[in-house]
Formats: sequence, C-alpha cells, structure tokens
Amino acid sequence: MIEAHELTKRYGDKTAVDRASFTVRPGTVTGFLGPNGAGKSTTMRMIVGLDRPTSGTVTVNGKPYAQHRMPLQEVGVLLDAKAVHTGRSAYQHLRALAATHGIATSRVREVIEMTGLQAVAKKRVGGFSLGMGQRLGIAAAMLGDPRTLILDEPVNGLDPEGVKWVRTMVRYLAGEGRTVFLSSHLMSEMAQTADQLLVIGRGRIIASGPVQEIIDATRGVSVRVRSPRAGELSELLAGPGVTLRATEPGLMEVSGRTAEEIGDAAARAGIALHELTPLRASLEEAYMSLTQDEVEYRTEAATDHLGGRADVPSAEGAVR
Amino acid sequence: MSTTTTAPRTVAVRPVTFPRVLKAEWLKLWSLRSTYWTLAATVVAMVLMSLLMAFGASASAEAGFDAGLDGQMVIGTSYAMAQLVIAVLGVLMMTGEYSTGMIRSTLTAVPARVPALVAKAIVIAGVAFVVGVLGVALSYVVTMPMLGDAGGAADLGDPDTLRMFWGTGLYLAAVGLFGLAVGALLRHSAGALATVLGILLLLPIVVQLAMGALEWLRDAYPYLPTTAGERIVAVDSPGMDMQMAGLPELLEPWTGLGVFAIYIAVALLAAAVLLRRRDA
Repeated sequence: MIEAHELTKRYGDKTAVDRASFTVRPGTVTGFLGPNGAGKSTTMRMIVGLDRPTSGTVTVNGKPYAQHRMPLQEVGVLLDAKAVHTGRSAYQHLRALAATHGIATSRVREVIEMTGLQAVAKKRVGGFSLGMGQRLGIAAAMLGDPRTLILDEPVNGLDPEGVKWVRTMVRYLAGEGRTVFLSSHLMSEMAQTADQLLVIGRGRIIASGPVQEIIDATRGVSVRVRSPRAGELSELLAGPGVTLRATEPGLMEVSGRTAEEIGDAAARAGIALHELTPLRASLEEAYMSLTQDEVEYRTEAATDHLGGRADVPSAEGAVR
Repeated sequence: MSTTTTAPRTVAVRPVTFPRVLKAEWLKLWSLRSTYWTLAATVVAMVLMSLLMAFGASASAEAGFDAGLDGQMVIGTSYAMAQLVIAVLGVLMMTGEYSTGMIRSTLTAVPARVPALVAKAIVIAGVAFVVGVLGVALSYVVTMPMLGDAGGAADLGDPDTLRMFWGTGLYLAAVGLFGLAVGALLRHSAGALATVLGILLLLPIVVQLAMGALEWLRDAYPYLPTTAGERIVAVDSPGMDMQMAGLPELLEPWTGLGVFAIYIAVALLAAAVLLRRRDA
C-alpha cells in the first residue's frame, strides 16, 4: 500500500510533481502512466526516500520508507537499470545489498535464477546490455521478498520474451497479494499489465481508476455509421450532446448516441444502414486525449510499440 | 530466459543494523578490482620511495659525506607517494557510487544514509592503516641490507622509529578519510580528486611561496591539513631543519595529527549533513 498526500517536488521554479495524492492498493497492478518528463520517476524516488518532497507526504505500508527497519522487505524498487557500480559483478552487487539486511547468499542465487542471470552473474556489470541491467535491477528489487514493488519502466530494453516474463511475474506477484506499482510511457504495455491506472502529466495526477473506467470516462463511446443517406440521418440524430463527424461521403462517426438509438432512428425513417459499428476508444487514444495538454517534451513515445525493442538477442552474446 | 516462478515462501530478512551495513561496505570494497591494484600500488610506492632514499643514503655514505639520510629518514618518507594513491581510493569510494548510480541502491538499502558513510569511513581507515603499516614494515626489511654504510637501519627500540611505523598507518588512514569526505561533499570524481590532490600537494607549496608577501601565512603554515598531519611521520625534532630553511616552526607529531583530524572531522560531519539533506 502506497499513500501519497499532496506530494510536491519543486526544483527551483520548475515543479516536477504538483500536489499529487493517490493510493496504490495491495493485490493490484497499478500502472503509472505519463509522457517522459511528467514526474513519474521523481514521484517514485520520493516514495523510497531518495528525493525529499518539497511538501506533502508519502508512506509505504503505513510509514515513511526510511522509518522501516527492513526497507528491502517492504519495498523492492527498480528505479533505473544503472543503479549498479559498473566494476562489480552482478552477484557481488546483490550480495552487498543482501548483507545490509542479513539476507542469505542462497537468496541471492535464487533471485539470480529467477531473473535468468546465471550465465553472467560473475561478470562485471559494465559489460551488461540494457536488458540484462533491467533483469539485475529486478533481481535486486526481489531480494527482500518485498510486499510492495516499485518498478520504473521495467520493460525498457527487454526483448519480447523478457517483456512477457516481466508481465507474468508482475501479475503473479500481485496475485499473491503484493502491491505492484509500475510506470511506463507505453500505453500498450499498461493495457496488458495493469488493473488500475494513475495518469500523470506535467507533475499532476490527471486521472486514476480502473483501466476500463478511465477509457470510458475519457472518450464517449462512438459509433461508426455507413449509409447512402448519411446526410438525412445526421439531421435526425442531431441534438444536444451529440457529435457528428463525417469522415468520408456516406460515412460518419457519431458520439452521444448508442448504436441501438441510431439503428432505431434509421429504421423509423426508412433509411438503409450499410454499417453500424460501436467504436471502443483504445487506451492509447484515452491517454493521448488526457495528456495532450500535458506533454512537456514531445517524444515518439506514443508510437514506440513494445514489440519493436528487441535489442537483447541473448544473455551470452551481449557480454564481452 | 528462465520462466521459473517461486512458490510463496518466506525469505529470512533481518533489520538493518550497523554491523550489517559495515559488512556490506566491506564486501563492496573487496568486490572491485580497482581496490586490489590501488592497494598494491600503495605498497609498491612505499617500497620504491624507501629504496630511492636508501640508495641515496648508501651512495652518500660511500662517497664520504653526510647527506642527512639515515635509517629513520628512509622509512619516514615512504608515505610520500603512497598518500596520493590512498587519497584517490578514498575519493572514489564515494564518487564511484555517484558516477555509476550505485548510490541509489546503497541509499534505498540504508535509507538512514549516515550509517553507510560511517561504514565506508571505518573500512577505508582500517584498510589504509593496515596497508600503511605493512608498507613501512616491508620498506624497512627491503632497505635494511643497503644501509650498512649509512649507519644501519632505524633502531626499532627507538620510540620515534615506532611512532613512524604506526604513524604512517595513521597518516594514510587520515588521508583516506579526507578523500572520502571530500568525495562525499563534491560527489564528482574529477572535482573531488582535484580538490584533494590540490590540498595534499599544492597548498603547502603555494602557502610557502606566498609567505614572503603575506606575513600571517607564516603563522598559518604549520596548521595546513597535511603539513600538520605529516608531523606524525616526521623524523626531525620540530623546528630544527625548518628554521634553517626559513620556514616557521612546525607542530609536535601528535598535535599535528590532531589538527589534521579536526579538519577531517569537520569535513566528514559536513558530508554527513549534506548526505542526509541532498537528493540522491
């Protein structure tokens, strides 16, 4: 359980996180969605006490992170894959972290196996690919068998198989009743992984709730209507709260009327319909409309689909 | 990739305590290759420095004149190069974590933060002390056969000789701590290294040069960090040679080390305060 109350972080006159209040509940995967630079990482760093909030509070399982006696058991965190000394081996890195909490080396070997790093565990991290760095970061997060997992862009740099593995693991961990909070700028990732969404833009929480609810609330469901007498039909349908958009001759998108209403109206007027398709707004569209005013840096993030990032061919191949 | 998922089970996790943090820092030091070659370089630098002095001593003794080099002088200068290597090790222990991002892992595991700094301080001080004493001992043994003509090796029964043995260890421990503190304050390797080496090497020279113009610098000179600290390994009785060279009278050995320790304590305290306050 993560509870933030009016959490604010300012750097000089730039506000990175602006009075963010939210709750991340156990047993769910909560996606933290926002464009690059929206304040996701800053928020996550404040949760684990790396950055000090300018104002507001955030607690993890009822207490500020730093007040826990066994923080690694409360929260496992992957902030970025590079939080590792490049001159140390993966095994030694994990072993040193484990030592702070008296965690046995058998657990170190266990998380190395869980993340598929056996072959490279004794190699220096400096030669790791981005994907292997991510796996090591996840291994470190899992070390203390934490009740809450905070993962900042966990699938970044992973091959498709790795992405699938993260998704499965995240779902499994939430199924065990743990809190999982993961950020991404990729809507497609969230659609497949998260139950709950927290959308952030320019430091402000602009939406939160179940994934489907956010989609529905953002875009009224619209209906595609194809008819040779579209002009006449549009006159019949017009009214307050109804939007009609002609996309090409004989084709329009109607929002504010259900498919049933449109079909009935057409039947009463004797207008033939060639198509009547309810359109469901995708998460991507919902996200774009939520954040279109909030994007600070325009990026290709929105078009950057997961499948295209297969830059980790094999564990051995990428280590020198 | 392995798709193994573990069955629900309990992982034994214990509270973060200082001994555990200390163990973690110990493991961190010895899991970097740079530690090994840095410490090897320290010992080599000490032995080489002593060998150089021993050659000078035996050559001048053969030629029949007194160059003021004796057994004590030979071991008492062994730290001169080695201190630079230890200072670098101290700095990198801290800035290496910032430059690689490791610091975020360290501070999420030890969110109280200050214990991590204290643990690093104990580790670097302990290691530098042991390496320092070891280096002097090795220098003593290696140079012993060469010092026959120059009056023989230093007398181990002489309290001053013993002070130089332990003093070299203490001085290197102090230099390591000084490097660590500056590294923690500045967080960037290049800036911290320049600062530490500047204070160790250049500051005494600059002050000596400026002394003629600024009289008050004469009084300040003995209290410069390393000018004071080095007294713990000094051969001469305070004042004697220095006054001949036109330099102000230097501090007594333990007073000198005490002054250096005050600088280090202030720097470490400032580092601890900033470590707690700054975003990582």
